[in-house]
Amino acid sequence: MPTLTADPQLPEPDAAEARDNATFHAVLQALSRPGTVHGLPGAGACPVAQALVDRECRVWTDDRHLAEVLAMTGAAMVAPELADHLFLSLASAEAMDRLLRVRTGSRLYPDQGATVVAPARISQGPALDLAGPGIAGAARLCLGGLHADIWRVRARLNRYPQGIEMLFHDGAALVALPRSTTVTEV
Amino acid sequence: MTLASLTRPWRAFSYGFLDASAKREMRRKMIKAVAVPGCQMPYASREVPIARGWGTGGLQVTLTLVNPKSVVKVIDQGADDSVNAASIRRFLTRVSGAGATNDTLAASLIQSRHRIPEEKLRADQILILQVPNPEPLRPVEPNMSAARQMHADADYGRLWLTLYEQIVRSGRVMQGASYPSMVNGRHVMSPSPIPRWDVPKLHMADHLTILSAGREKRIFAVPPHTRVEPLVFDDVPYRVEDHAGLTCARSGLTGYFMNEIPQDGGGSAHEVSDSELGVKAIRRAEGEDPEIGATWYVDGEMQR
Repeated sequence: MPTLTADPQLPEPDAAEARDNATFHAVLQALSRPGTVHGLPGAGACPVAQALVDRECRVWTDDRHLAEVLAMTGAAMVAPELADHLFLSLASAEAMDRLLRVRTGSRLYPDQGATVVAPARISQGPALDLAGPGIAGAARLCLGGLHADIWRVRARLNRYPQGIEMLFHDGAALVALPRSTTVTEV
Repeated sequence: MTLASLTRPWRAFSYGFLDASAKREMRRKMIKAVAVPGCQMPYASREVPIARGWGTGGLQVTLTLVNPKSVVKVIDQGADDSVNAASIRRFLTRVSGAGATNDTLAASLIQSRHRIPEEKLRADQILILQVPNPEPLRPVEPNMSAARQMHADADYGRLWLTLYEQIVRSGRVMQGASYPSMVNGRHVMSPSPIPRWDVPKLHMADHLTILSAGREKRIFAVPPHTRVEPLVFDDVPYRVEDHAGLTCARSGLTGYFMNEIPQDGGGSAHEVSDSELGVKAIRRAEGEDPEIGATWYVDGEMQR
């Protein structure tokens, strides 16, 4: 006869669940407060890919190591203009051309805008003034390791509410710029 | 790549009830919801072991965010001890190992039906509101596709017209709960059926709010420090419920949102709607020293 006792032990997340949960809390807080730096449970784009991407997604990456990780998730590898998640370096002029082609959603379906995950040097390089939701007054962020045209390209893509979300990782540090943030180069 | 590397050890159920793929979908949609404040994002809305319409949307968000270090508070119409709130709280702790609390100050995740706590929420807390009807345009445009086009065009004239008609007919805005509010100057949202009293608490708040409708499969968000402006006319200011002068018959608190308790003989008494705030006030009156946080309203006046 089954006994109606309390659970023998409380459920524990496995390593993957704990990592994905911690990653998502960092991503969510980073997007809620643009320009603030949050810690990922691991270095690079890998934890972000594992927390967000599965076989319902279409992805593009220029990173051969990450391509293997993404293959494990079952996501479809597609051209940049079809991808909903892109993991790429934004340091070259070629990358700027690629970025100009990514999906920005539509006014009817803003959720179809892509999420772009890129390496950057946080707290180094040119200063940016940020304004918009999630920012009390004004915020300043320094981001290096990106092509000089990046903010012009971003401004062209972001026709609010259309646009893209940008996540920048530097080791295990993460900052995010949602489409609602206005970026001004200082 | 081997088959073994693609499978996981058997478990009776996934941590936090939702499977990993459902959580990833929730995460992707929450990211977009935060990025476009107030805009309703469609999502799959999985089955959870409560009926649609009883908080499944909020529950799925909480289940995605929860971890063993979380402390959850669940509110139903201000109270922590209603059947719905108690069941959801017990379910959350049983499938996640998270702590549970009634104290707003101690909670990291606050799932709520129809109220925002009176004590100010902090930046490290996330408020999750259960939403029965996420579409503010539904009373004026029942066709979902047409309403979506209206949101795309920021075409909210008919909502203004509804408010105008209410003023013409009744002399004041009759909309009580779910007061349509402009978020970030672009999308009008229904803030879920919170009273008018609670809508200003979302404006330029320190905390993140996620609103999720499980039955209607829509999720939207109000990030911290985001403008949330109830639709009003320049010459007809927004008014919250006239509760500033009411006193709670049990705790003696004055100047908070009250429940009206009908009395034998036709009168009514009032009881503070945020039950844990009332409990704290009673404990304080009995000589204990529970910590009562700063409240959004002081003496019935919204503090800015």
